[in-house]
Amino acid sequence: MTVFLDARTLPDDTVLAPDLAIIGGGAAGISLALALASTKLNILLLESGGVNFDPQNQKMYAGSRSGLSYIALDSGRLRFLGGSTNHWGGWCRPLDEIDFEKRDWVAHSGWPFPRKALDAYYPRAQALVEAGPWFYDKAGAHITAQGAPLGLGEGGVYTSWFQFSKTRDSELPTYFGHRYEGELKKTPRLTPLLNANVTGIRLTPDGTRVDRLDAATLTGKRFVVKPHVTVLACGGMENARLLLASRDVMKNGVGNQNDLVGRFFADNPIPRDVATLVSFAGPLASYYGNNLSLANGPILRATFSPNHAFRRTAHVASSLSTVEQPVELDDTGKAAVITTAIALGVDASRASAYSLGCGMELLPDPERRLTLTDEKDALGLPRLKLNMRMAEEDFTLYHQTLRELGRQLLASGAGMLKINRREDWSKNMDWGNHHLGTTRMHDDPKQGVVNSDGQVHGVSNLYVAGSSVFPTYGASNPTLNLIALTLRLADHLKKVVA
Amino acid sequence: MKRRTLISSATAAGAAVAAGLYRFTDLLVKHYPPTPYDDVLVVLTDRERAAKLGALVSDAPAPQALAAKLRVAIKPGLTAAAKADAASGRLTEVGGWVVPESLALLSALAAKV
Repeated sequence: MTVFLDARTLPDDTVLAPDLAIIGGGAAGISLALALASTKLNILLLESGGVNFDPQNQKMYAGSRSGLSYIALDSGRLRFLGGSTNHWGGWCRPLDEIDFEKRDWVAHSGWPFPRKALDAYYPRAQALVEAGPWFYDKAGAHITAQGAPLGLGEGGVYTSWFQFSKTRDSELPTYFGHRYEGELKKTPRLTPLLNANVTGIRLTPDGTRVDRLDAATLTGKRFVVKPHVTVLACGGMENARLLLASRDVMKNGVGNQNDLVGRFFADNPIPRDVATLVSFAGPLASYYGNNLSLANGPILRATFSPNHAFRRTAHVASSLSTVEQPVELDDTGKAAVITTAIALGVDASRASAYSLGCGMELLPDPERRLTLTDEKDALGLPRLKLNMRMAEEDFTLYHQTLRELGRQLLASGAGMLKINRREDWSKNMDWGNHHLGTTRMHDDPKQGVVNSDGQVHGVSNLYVAGSSVFPTYGASNPTLNLIALTLRLADHLKKVVA
Repeated sequence: MKRRTLISSATAAGAAVAAGLYRFTDLLVKHYPPTPYDDVLVVLTDRERAAKLGALVSDAPAPQALAAKLRVAIKPGLTAAAKADAASGRLTEVGGWVVPESLALLSALAAKV
């Protein structure tokens, strides 16, 4: 095949019968399709958009919000081939081992498997996002020419590292649609179908299997897909929407027998200017505030993270504090720096100050949720409403991490920290547009929508891929991680379907 | 006038000027009105700057109580005390600045006198 199939050109009353239907052509859907390309499966990749942005398609994402201020539901994601990778920033970092653990101090925490279950899949995920060799927290050994990291000494916070999807010079991060268009077209037995909106997941009368998918185009064409196996891969909001909206057999929605679909929504809050970091010895190495491109190697950026030991003892959540830009201190700030440096017996005559931003992890919250409204989109699918909120504890835990960073700076004589007022964090709050948790994974159907294989509890041929299955979230950007998880699902499907 | 007398007079005059500069101006060393807590405050090189920080310490005890506490806290010297505070997590947030507890108390005292 050299061109994509367009659902708008299908004959009337078409019934497609693939071995596997993948709903959604974003990072998860494309990664899954490519991972299964070497099998004998006939795969249908249903993408609701085309190869480029179309405002009419994008409107299908519109929804409403309540609670904490949050991005409009049709702004933080993109509905065309490649999905939200079409506007991602390329930030990559694997989740930490502790992110997967059940922690007594975090209600609803824990994945059904440890991080090592994904370790075998990270290299391929890293290759798909084109982030270069796997350095991450071993990057310190490769940046000696660029200056030493800030000496934080012993403590709960350390310099950790992001890598970037190939954002080099004028190159953009890997946009999965454009980047893998060629592979998708040339893979035998894989049919990418554009402008194909799935409008319902129809179960067999006993509710144990997907019987068919109802699909439609915005031009009015309706058609049916009867796959052996279906994988829902249309993002953290749309996965929940489609399950909730498919109510003909299960009146609360597919997989929602325990009222979990849409609950536990999460994102990574990105408060700006959370703190001012002062380096007594002068300017920080450039890789703290800017991306560092190693020759023929990865693109790196340093960040401050709580380590495992501190997370266990202080019970803080994950966070990634980044240096944003140099700042000028006011008179009080100068007084604080000079007085403290003299007290510590440190020379601060070259002191440099920087503002810090952060990517935070939210604690799981069942009331932070997506529900359906009576309003319908152009194809009759109910629109979503998001109830967004953050707990006081989310802020408090991050404050503890900042305080520990401040302590370490003083103890090591490297600098000091000013923690800005909480209300100022909220004033400058941004979001990662990381839609997480709405079809959470747990082997107990009363605690999760999907099991550890990603299969919807009670529906034997329906799976969910993507960050909607993350039961706890970490602070790392999800793309690399959801791809690794999707590649694990591909291996499972090879065993049970191929 | 004999040469020896001239040198002696010049030296005495120089010493008097230096003593005056030291005692009655802030040109060489800053001087502050005497307080009952000078034995504590003497460890601050720049009391005005410390006072600027200390003015932001909320709920600081009265000067007498502060000084009593500080006489114990900074007995090993301010640097040792500040480092020990940082190492063991005895910290105070002063206007958001995370500082060693002993330094926060000392700055608060400087602000109160």
